[in-house]
Amino acid sequence: MSSAHPPSPTENVATAPVVDACASCSVYRAANLKKLGVAMEDWDFVVALAGNPNTGKSTVFNALTGLRQHTGNWPGKTVARAEGGYAYGDHRFKLVDLPGTYSLLSTSLDEQIARDFILFGQPDVTVIVADATRLERNLNLVLQILEITDRAVVCLNLMDEARRHGITVDDRQLARDLGVPVVPASARFGRGLPELLQAINEVATGQVVCRPQRLETVPAAIRPALTAVVGELEAAYPNLPNPRWVALRLLSGDESMVDALRGGQLGTLHSLATTESNKE
Amino acid sequence: MPPSPSQPASQSDQILAAAKQWRQQIPGDLHEHVVEAIYGQAARIAERSVSSPSQAARPTFDRSLDHILTSKLWGFPIMILLFAVMFWITITGANIPSAWLSWLLIDQGHSWLRGIFQSVGSPEWLTGFVVDGMYLATAWVVSVMLPPMAIFFPLFTLLEDFGYLPRVAFNLDRLFKVSGGHGKQAMTTMMGFGCNAAGVVATRIIDSPRERLLAIITNNFALCNGRWPTQFLIATVFLGSLVPAVLAGLVAAAAVTSVAMLGVLLTFLVSWGLSRTLLKGEVSTFSLELPPYRPPRFWQTLYTSLIDRTLFVLWRAVVFALPAGAVIWLVANVYVGGESLAEHFIRVADPLGLFIGLNGVILLAYVIAIPANEIVIPTVLMLTVMTTGLQDVGAGTGVMFELQSGDAVGQLLTAGGWTTLTAVNLMLFSLLHNPCSTTIYTIYRETGSAKWTMVSTLLPLALGFVVCALTAWGWRLLSVAPG
Amino acid sequence: MNHALPVVASLIAMAVVFWPRYGLWARWQLAQELARRIRREDALKHLIKSEANGRVATLNSLAGALQISAANAASLLEELEERELVTFEDGRPLLRPAGRAMALHVVRAHRLWESYLAEQTGVPELEWHPRAEEREHLLTPEEADALAARLGHPTRDPHGDVIPPPHGDLEGDPGQSLNTAAPQTPVLITHIEDEPDTVYRQLVALGLRPGMRAFVIEKTPSRVRFWVDGNEQILAPILAQNVFVRPLPEFRTEDLVEEEFLSGLKPQARTRVIGLSPACRGQERRRLLDLGFVPGTVVEVEMISPAGDPTAYRVRGTIVALRREQANLIRVSSKEASDR
Repeated sequence: MSSAHPPSPTENVATAPVVDACASCSVYRAANLKKLGVAMEDWDFVVALAGNPNTGKSTVFNALTGLRQHTGNWPGKTVARAEGGYAYGDHRFKLVDLPGTYSLLSTSLDEQIARDFILFGQPDVTVIVADATRLERNLNLVLQILEITDRAVVCLNLMDEARRHGITVDDRQLARDLGVPVVPASARFGRGLPELLQAINEVATGQVVCRPQRLETVPAAIRPALTAVVGELEAAYPNLPNPRWVALRLLSGDESMVDALRGGQLGTLHSLATTESNKE
Repeated sequence: MPPSPSQPASQSDQILAAAKQWRQQIPGDLHEHVVEAIYGQAARIAERSVSSPSQAARPTFDRSLDHILTSKLWGFPIMILLFAVMFWITITGANIPSAWLSWLLIDQGHSWLRGIFQSVGSPEWLTGFVVDGMYLATAWVVSVMLPPMAIFFPLFTLLEDFGYLPRVAFNLDRLFKVSGGHGKQAMTTMMGFGCNAAGVVATRIIDSPRERLLAIITNNFALCNGRWPTQFLIATVFLGSLVPAVLAGLVAAAAVTSVAMLGVLLTFLVSWGLSRTLLKGEVSTFSLELPPYRPPRFWQTLYTSLIDRTLFVLWRAVVFALPAGAVIWLVANVYVGGESLAEHFIRVADPLGLFIGLNGVILLAYVIAIPANEIVIPTVLMLTVMTTGLQDVGAGTGVMFELQSGDAVGQLLTAGGWTTLTAVNLMLFSLLHNPCSTTIYTIYRETGSAKWTMVSTLLPLALGFVVCALTAWGWRLLSVAPG
Repeated sequence: MNHALPVVASLIAMAVVFWPRYGLWARWQLAQELARRIRREDALKHLIKSEANGRVATLNSLAGALQISAANAASLLEELEERELVTFEDGRPLLRPAGRAMALHVVRAHRLWESYLAEQTGVPELEWHPRAEEREHLLTPEEADALAARLGHPTRDPHGDVIPPPHGDLEGDPGQSLNTAAPQTPVLITHIEDEPDTVYRQLVALGLRPGMRAFVIEKTPSRVRFWVDGNEQILAPILAQNVFVRPLPEFRTEDLVEEEFLSGLKPQARTRVIGLSPACRGQERRRLLDLGFVPGTVVEVEMISPAGDPTAYRVRGTIVALRREQANLIRVSSKEASDR
């Protein structure tokens, strides 16, 4: 293994099949990247890009797709949903840049777009860009997304700034706690992107299976209600990958969730990991 | 194993009923319980993996910079100085490429294109329609609009990427709060001085619905760079000539500055009025995050601001300038009952124009030059030549032109019946009229609402009529009384 | 020919007046019908509210509530009886099932609309009630349900009243009034009665809202002096009886006094968030929560704008500027406040 190999995501995660040493080194992988801009006709995997405002999400998007979306030092710059593509190895990826939000629980349009895409769009991988200098705040969104999807990669961006501020982040510990791959990066300078590409590829192809950390302590005030609705949901939809999130949204009266339940779309949501293994 | 297509309706109803029933039993707000739990967990995870220095987590550089840039003593002077320098660079820097583009596209390109059309035997009406109308209007817009934008926007973007602009919003928020707006409106207004369409797009940084609408509607009160040349020309020719030559430049500059300041004042007044009337019911949530400073990457910024802002706006302007050029040529060259359409319009509009201290020519110019303020003066000159019937100036019916010397402009316009009042009111009307069509279209795209587009379009226009009429009334009162 | 003009003119005039649906006459009739319906619904609302609060509705109470004469109130009740909405028992009006359903819908629509105005618009607080008074008669039950769904099925309106579920029942008993609360005992304000309007306006002007914590300091026949969310207030008993409270057994008065607001924090000071004030609603509340102003969070005053407002706070590693009014909505611990 070369030193540039990304840290192994978590210990309780099935490790990737042994790849030959050169194919895993970042130089080789970077050469494999083909930026496709918006010229995407067909793709093998859909990758959603989520994150807090002002974390360099657009920079990551631009670096991977070769597009030049403006990235200002303003919170919340990406307003509409942007799409682009890249090819990596033998696969073509469609990258969808979601609006930058602090949370996914509110009624604002931005959050609804992001929430509905991650849930109903069922991206093969959701990349969550987090600001290493303000990790605690960013984990709010990360943990919410991990409630929805079990296929995620955390891109710990702005590592250069963290270093400048004297902050160190133990990405291995973080990966263990979150249960998904964590890739430290400085997207502005292109650092960490080869590792990010590889992590996305591994999660998309199922070489790495995530075991995301879900909320460990449910507040006592909502526990009975949540348990009851989750019970109902699990009885009706045994394959639902995220019954607790769905129950939470139903309890807060989220209309798109109610519609999905009534219209039967909820039945089509199922763990992607299950379909992968079923295909084989 | 494919999932079963749809669960029986009764099952989903049962789940919904359960959710509804349990919802009533939750004490307090569900959202709040969840956010609290998530933040609790986030804090625990962060504690395990993040180690920050025991000292203040923010580096002293950021902190001391913040304390200077937002200090009571230095905050405002630094801000004013920075923006003054930025505008100075824009105005002086744009002169040379503007003159060069004007020479290339208008002086050379126009006659060259005419030559080509004539050599292939194109009929005169087609040449006029395409070359004198469509091409010339577009060339005019490009040569006046492109250079200042190509300088202003990258400078602005550099400050933005560095993280300074949120501090400006922080410093100025108090001012905007009084009028019901958001501190970030300072940024979008500033952007509006470059170009209103770009200023309207920039309002995206304001995430509170009411404050964003305010910023959109009032953006037109920022005198955009398409209107500065009109202001300078008229101020120099008419107001500068009222005083000794030594003071002429000073008086003209003071007059233009007053008009720009009036625009800023109206931004506050109109914001204040709107937030208490039309926009009363809109949601307002203030929050302003001050991001850490980041060294901007010069070339990347230059590239993206050129692509995203300058060319984006320029493209929209060109799209609107083409048909407008055609219309300008047509109204001057299509005759009905022995008179061109333009002359018909001017005759009908003249009484109204004179009543508000303008004239029919100016009103027509503002109607047909709606795509871009840059072509108002050339259109006015062309129409004045047409209505006065002067033979030795101009470039032909329906062909916009500019005169090299200010005196020549003055003589021409005085022959067209212009007085000092006309000049003053033109300056006011240039500030207070409907936004250019590029901006109107952009407002529609940004708000998605015909109602707010109408308000943003008609409100400044109505204000313009009122202000001009009042000025004319006051002027007549004062000039009659002493005489 | 001479006669044509007057004939045409009178025809046009007739059309303007008598045109079906759009003519003046038709419109006037519609407006009359609406006014009559509003009066009926207001009467039903009075009956159901009296019932829920354990009072007996009478001809006089109805006349008083609707501000009409006793004779008009009597004919109104007759009309309600004819329509089989109300029946009489011992001369007292009682709601029949159809009347109860109608009354319940009106109350539901009213409280939903108030919630909507509070959560999703910027309409000032004092206008919620009057606007809802009009809108309650215009919403159909289906529209009310759709509105409830859009609001995430709220259970209480901004005044702390329970929003009755469709086909449910109206809950009465908003608790005891502040007048009767024991001194030095922490209580939670559960409800601010929004009628009569003059009293309600005074209470709102004092900043009193459901969800605030309070305790009575001293009570005399002429006034009630009490502590509420960091301030001392004095109310005449007649005003205090429109403020409803429930006891907070888990708190001591000392716990309450230790709270102050973020706006009171000195430059460079640091403290811990206790919670958001109930006056902070809708999108604004969500935004502050998402920014990390949740109980337990440490906040620090970072810098103050040269204009004096807003102030930038450091919260969970980020610098966020808040205006003074917003900082007034965030409760922090005064005990734990310390300089950096």
